[in-house]
Amino acid sequence: MVLLDHLASGLIFSSIIVLGSIGLSLVYSIADFANFAHGDTMTIGAYTSLVTFGAIGGLGGAVLGIPFGFFVALVVGMAMAALVAIVTEKVVYEGMDVDSIGLLITSIGVAFVYRAVIQMGFGADAVRYDIQALRPIEWLLPYNVRVTEHDVAIVVSAAVLVTGLHVLLQYTDLGRKMRAMADNPDLARVSGIRIDRIKLWTWVIGAGLAGAGGVFLGLYNLLSPRMGFNLLLLIFAAVILGGIGSVYGAMAGALLIGMIHELTPLLSQLGRVFTFLPEGFGLPIGNQYGSAIAFVIMVIVLLFRPQGIAGEAV
Amino acid sequence: MSAGTRLQTAWADLTRAEQGVTGFIVGFAALLLFGLLSGGLAPTYFLYLVGIAGMYALLSFGLNSQWGFTGLINFSVAAFFGIGAYGAALTTADSSPLAGGFNPLVGLLVALVLAAVLALLIGIPTLRLRADYLAIASLGLAEVVRTIVKNESQWTNGTAGVRGIPSFFEGWPVLATFPEAMPGLEIFVPFGARIVLGTSFWSALLNVSLVLIFVGVSYALLRRVHRSPWGRVLRTIRSDEDLARALGKHTYSFKMQSFVLGSLIMALAGVFYAHLNLFVSPGDLDPITTFYVWVAVILGGSGSNRGALFGGFVIVAIREGTRFLNEFAWIPFDVAPLRLLMIGVLIVLVMRFRPQGVLPPQRELIWPSAVDEAPSRPDSGVREAKAGGGDE
Repeated sequence: MVLLDHLASGLIFSSIIVLGSIGLSLVYSIADFANFAHGDTMTIGAYTSLVTFGAIGGLGGAVLGIPFGFFVALVVGMAMAALVAIVTEKVVYEGMDVDSIGLLITSIGVAFVYRAVIQMGFGADAVRYDIQALRPIEWLLPYNVRVTEHDVAIVVSAAVLVTGLHVLLQYTDLGRKMRAMADNPDLARVSGIRIDRIKLWTWVIGAGLAGAGGVFLGLYNLLSPRMGFNLLLLIFAAVILGGIGSVYGAMAGALLIGMIHELTPLLSQLGRVFTFLPEGFGLPIGNQYGSAIAFVIMVIVLLFRPQGIAGEAV
Repeated sequence: MSAGTRLQTAWADLTRAEQGVTGFIVGFAALLLFGLLSGGLAPTYFLYLVGIAGMYALLSFGLNSQWGFTGLINFSVAAFFGIGAYGAALTTADSSPLAGGFNPLVGLLVALVLAAVLALLIGIPTLRLRADYLAIASLGLAEVVRTIVKNESQWTNGTAGVRGIPSFFEGWPVLATFPEAMPGLEIFVPFGARIVLGTSFWSALLNVSLVLIFVGVSYALLRRVHRSPWGRVLRTIRSDEDLARALGKHTYSFKMQSFVLGSLIMALAGVFYAHLNLFVSPGDLDPITTFYVWVAVILGGSGSNRGALFGGFVIVAIREGTRFLNEFAWIPFDVAPLRLLMIGVLIVLVMRFRPQGVLPPQRELIWPSAVDEAPSRPDSGVREAKAGGGDE
């Protein structure tokens, strides 16, 4: 089945988008603006872990074909992304006297600064992590599924992070405060929640997850200064599809967008998927249209359900 | 009253920001003049720069009538620009994969129609929604347009781009042969270089006059419509859409009209670009163009066409100025990201310290006669009027 392989890569790509879209959705609902610098925060995470991994090396053993050192680098990358986000919040956004649209425009400037600095340091060309590329897992090949252990590691790590966030949001004090603030900032404030502190934690969590997403994106593809900005639109599509401000909606949206993106190549070979169609049948849409189809679907969803899958009415 | 004192009163009438901008423009013009006379700046290249600046001014006008007046966050400037350029290129070029070789005026018309259709396609799903949805959706749809232009090579020649675009005045009675017919001039500047004005200079001069006409017409048109009742509704929508709706205005249709109008002006810039550069490629639809124009508008002052004009020139100064830095080998990093960095820093600084822009709209939105007749202070104080009438 050709479909299974595409579903598998859809799942992998979705896990990367999930990490980005959760952070974006959190910041969207708590800091109350569409953060266009989110994609470049992912790039920061990826490049930081590139440097860290280059410095510390593999550190002995490996899990799922990934050296221990890489996991250390992952954590450092997440921390760096969070640090940069906090510094940006403190230096740029905090003292600003503009509405959410003004913040949106500012965040584009911030995104350019991030990207320009990375490009100055590392050049415009794509680089890769110094990790041996693996062959697809043997016992899955008969099913026509070509998945490496790295891909499994990406999905598992993303699942761990997402579960961690779920626990944090549902069962901890901080999570309850964050949900309260996303729901109604004024009410949260009069209830005695220190909203400045919650906002900082939101940036830490959102940017940290974005950093992790960036690292996995670099592992899945390559690292380049534009990698985050290129993915940003898909992440926005996921957030909008899921409903702005809803973390669980963002997860569902990310899964959907990732699948759509990776299933697009099938459109040109529909005949091989559906037995009732002639063998050579296919729509003349190449796989370079993956992102385009995701945006178009996002727009169509906006037409009929502007609040998204899980969002409240606008 | 002598010319000197008149100049002095005019200077005193300006706000401080206006004085600063005027000073900047005078200084910059002096610098350019020095460059021209000393031979450091070739006249043809200078005219090319003026043309590009005019193009950015047009794009800024377009965005200004969407964002500055109506508050529509359009991040698909590059798409409209590209549609304009490709529309003109594909209709007029010899090498066009579609029916080419038409008169450039036909190309202009085709480009405008295409832009209007694209504006409707983008506007219909997004203009009903919250402002930030339009931002995201328009950026996404601009990427869709770019992907299509890049990949559908049977229509657009794909990444190879379209070559062989004629100049805009091809096939016109006198102007078509004007550059060849003009004699080559040589100018000797005392203590400076010898300046040769050949065929390329005259055709560049034609291009500049074309863009000046485009800019002038759009400026006059926008100035007129934005002072009209229609323009006042747009500004109401920008500051409070619910209010406009409560006053019985069909805001969706006003927003759509404003969106289409702005998009047409952007497409006009694209048409000019196609005939200036004589080559278009999918690279011209890169989203960075969109953000250049955004910088121009917010730097100049959202809602101010003067500001947009000023912003357009600043962008060209940044874009072409950083190009000179390439010549300095001692700079330890790539210069290309420096431009990106400057754009980014400029956006942050403007939004952080002067969100209204350098030249925010002031008198230009009001009929001059209304300003002259209005008393400089109200007959009775606002406080007394309130204290007398209100029961708050």
